[in-house]
Amino acid sequence: MSWFQRLWRNQTKVNFPELWKKAFFLSAAFMLIGIAALLVRGVNLGIEFEGGTVWETAAPNIATGEVRDALREVGQVNAKIQFVGGDVVRVRAELDSTDAASVATVSAALSALTQQSIDDISFNSISASWGGEITGKAIRALIVFFVVVAIYITLGLEWRMAVAALIAVAHDIVITVGLYALFQFEITPATVIAFLTIMGYSLYDTLVVFDKNRDYQRRSALIGRATYTHIMNLALNTVLLRSVNTTITSVLPVLAMLIIGTLVLGAVTLAEFAVALLIGLLVGTYSSLFVASPAAAWLKERQQSQIELRERLEARAQSRGITVQEVEAAAVSGSSTTSLSAADSRSQPDRPAAKRPGAARRPISAGTIIPPRPRKRKRR
Amino acid sequence: MSRRSLVSLVLIVAGAVGLLAASLAVGNSPLLGLDLKGGVEVVLVPVDDPERSETVTPDDLDTAVNIIRNRIDGLGVAEPDVTRQGNRVVVQLPGISDQQRAIDIVGQTAELRFRPVCTELAAEPLTLEVDDEVDDVAISDTNDDLATDDPVADEETVGDPASDGVDTEDDVDDETVDDAVGDPVADGVDTEDASVSPVPPVLPPAELDERGLAACPIDLENIFALPSSTAAQDQADSFVVLPERNDDGEVVRRYLLGPANLTGAGLSGADSAFTNEYVVIANFKGGDEGSDKFDELAFECFSATSFCPSGAAGPGRVAIVVDGTVEVAPTVNAASFSGEAVISGNYSGDEAEDLALVLRYGALPVEFQDPTDPQSDSTSRGVSATIGSDSLRAGVIAGIVGLALVFLYMVVMYRFLGVIAMLSLGVSATWLWVIVAWLGETQDLALTLAGVTGLIVAIGVSLDSNVVYFEHLKEDVATGRSLRSSLEQSFKVAFITIFRANFASLIAAVILYWLSAGSVRGFALMLGLASVLDLLATYFFLRPCAQLLARSSSLMAHPHLLGLPTAEEAMAPASQKL
Repeated sequence: MSWFQRLWRNQTKVNFPELWKKAFFLSAAFMLIGIAALLVRGVNLGIEFEGGTVWETAAPNIATGEVRDALREVGQVNAKIQFVGGDVVRVRAELDSTDAASVATVSAALSALTQQSIDDISFNSISASWGGEITGKAIRALIVFFVVVAIYITLGLEWRMAVAALIAVAHDIVITVGLYALFQFEITPATVIAFLTIMGYSLYDTLVVFDKNRDYQRRSALIGRATYTHIMNLALNTVLLRSVNTTITSVLPVLAMLIIGTLVLGAVTLAEFAVALLIGLLVGTYSSLFVASPAAAWLKERQQSQIELRERLEARAQSRGITVQEVEAAAVSGSSTTSLSAADSRSQPDRPAAKRPGAARRPISAGTIIPPRPRKRKRR
Repeated sequence: MSRRSLVSLVLIVAGAVGLLAASLAVGNSPLLGLDLKGGVEVVLVPVDDPERSETVTPDDLDTAVNIIRNRIDGLGVAEPDVTRQGNRVVVQLPGISDQQRAIDIVGQTAELRFRPVCTELAAEPLTLEVDDEVDDVAISDTNDDLATDDPVADEETVGDPASDGVDTEDDVDDETVDDAVGDPVADGVDTEDASVSPVPPVLPPAELDERGLAACPIDLENIFALPSSTAAQDQADSFVVLPERNDDGEVVRRYLLGPANLTGAGLSGADSAFTNEYVVIANFKGGDEGSDKFDELAFECFSATSFCPSGAAGPGRVAIVVDGTVEVAPTVNAASFSGEAVISGNYSGDEAEDLALVLRYGALPVEFQDPTDPQSDSTSRGVSATIGSDSLRAGVIAGIVGLALVFLYMVVMYRFLGVIAMLSLGVSATWLWVIVAWLGETQDLALTLAGVTGLIVAIGVSLDSNVVYFEHLKEDVATGRSLRSSLEQSFKVAFITIFRANFASLIAAVILYWLSAGSVRGFALMLGLASVLDLLATYFFLRPCAQLLARSSSLMAHPHLLGLPTAEEAMAPASQKL
């Protein structure tokens, strides 16, 4: 069976714990690059945050495109062009209004374009339109949000998953913002919204993965026979196709935006915005599988019961001269003939249940098992 | 398939189609933001040039920008663009074509004033007998105070000294006020009270004491016939008659008020709080700047002296006046407040927050020229979109291409189920469009580039719900369950996951909306809407659809049409590995 077929049937055999180690270094490297870029280069805040210079001049019979072309020649790709009251053009650019030489360059370019005398081109400083108060409120809102979401996940799943999910979200934001710092893309209010979107998406994705994981952790056939990590690995393999599919369906529109935005000359903002979203979406999916999951597993395996379980399994492995993974795999596939995978049971045609699928036999599928009282509850 | 789910399917589709038709019929369409469609800008030029004046500093202008931004945010208008350009304040509002409305929203340089209440008056002045000299100006003025349908009603220009001495139709000087009353035409009411003298009452000039207070003229003859004060008359150091309005802007009652000894500049802050009920806590600056002044006023009111006579509820009352309107006139329950006053009055949380907002941002530190005055430098005019139409077109094309690709992928991956997923998306998108159009029409919710992109990502998340379900289904079928029972069983499990994840998004949306401002708020609204609609579409559309599918024996016999493995494939040995 091809890899794709296995993926399609949620029967991949990706060894996630093995990949986690590589992913750890990958993530660490990217985060370091991101943080370094943030510290060294800083972010390129747009005119909405920092203010700049505004020019105004009469511009009869001139189209936005012409103004933009003229501005591009003097290096003001991100300038905002707006027609005011009909035929007055207003150009706002992130340029210090006290920088006389640069201001004069833009004035000259506008003068040449509009055929107006350079004296008729007024310029002035412009303040930020995104007030500091908005940032302050947004940060306060985010902190409250993180706290509430942490409580929510703790109640719905468990606190280790809450911590892991928030680590993943932080990871995504650091990498995306770091990317902006590295390439000095302009950060506009729209970009901030894109970051928030990424955050929401990452969290959503992580929760879907965690929900699957919890589902598997509760399966009676697996409890006490495999480590948390091993069970999580099984869950991740089943949820892999979903992650791939969701990423593709989310990325396709953004990719279209990126390609068309790049092809159309004026749409620089659109293209940069699309890059942020694209990276964010990809990183968001990646972090669910390779940051949030290992973090949750790592925290969980610090638990006393999990340590004891691992010791038990190791002892068993040693006595048989095989690895822990093999013990786990044997335990899982052994149990699967009766409860974990009905596909296995169906391969034995002498079993009566196979003839009446779904009737008498209750295969262990996510929906039908009544989860046994998890033993961990007592220890919590 | 149960009857209930069939009903839900019919309802959600019919609802979407019906509301879409209704929304198109009344001409609702999403309000596009400044970046996508442009709008109107109001340019406010200070009366005193900050470069020459010593009273107005550039810092004051920055404060004014913040106050105006907060005011507009507080009104719920999404994503205005407020900047200081040189010495001018430029306010851009999205999607508004009516420049007068923009000016109304930006409002005037209202000064918040604390005035003692002399007495409460009826919403309309009692009409005196016909006076022959009927002055047109005065009629329109009286009308303005009674009916607020006039867009250039007085309250917008109240308290703006910039209009002083400038001849506009609303400007009425003291001489014409005598004619303002005694005009039966204005009220359309005949004289009812024969005992009322035809001599119209005039407010005496206030004789201020050293504290800036004056004894109330409550023994004034025909006090109930007093007309409301005009903008020009509304001076801090004189007696005034000002209205209190309800939410619809109708005058509910009027007050005869004494001179103001304290303005909003004396406040250091105000916030709403919840103790046993919602209250507003106003904090005053220390000493002579605020606290002492307020205590002087409070002392008179609490003692119910002639400066602030006793009201129906015992002690006298203090009116808080903004824009020529009494915002609130609470009874004073203490003689001294030492810097903090708690205003209570059966407020809802929103009302308390609104009042706190007014107290906080009521006063601008700079006086601006009146944009409605053609001779002032302040103006209003239309502005174009900041994102070129070519970019917008590129974005729309990208959206369509992207959606087509998604459709293709879903169909290849899930065949018939993919089509259903796209239909489900269509249903929730239609609902979203209707809601966004409605909010744009009623709440001025503007859709910006960021909002549109948020929606594109919402498409991905919305499809995710479908994918989660389909994958559960596949897993169930692979474990040997019959397709028909899997359709129902998988949904239950998948929906828990979908609900959990969407609920987290919803928490994010609510908190961000509640606590943030500006475009973050707009984003939160979109996120919340998308999450709720995703849940609804999944439960009320996808589920009934799946149940319908389960009834089709031909589909059940060919799982490949649903992108699912057949029973034989599910048994294939390769699937043994776990």
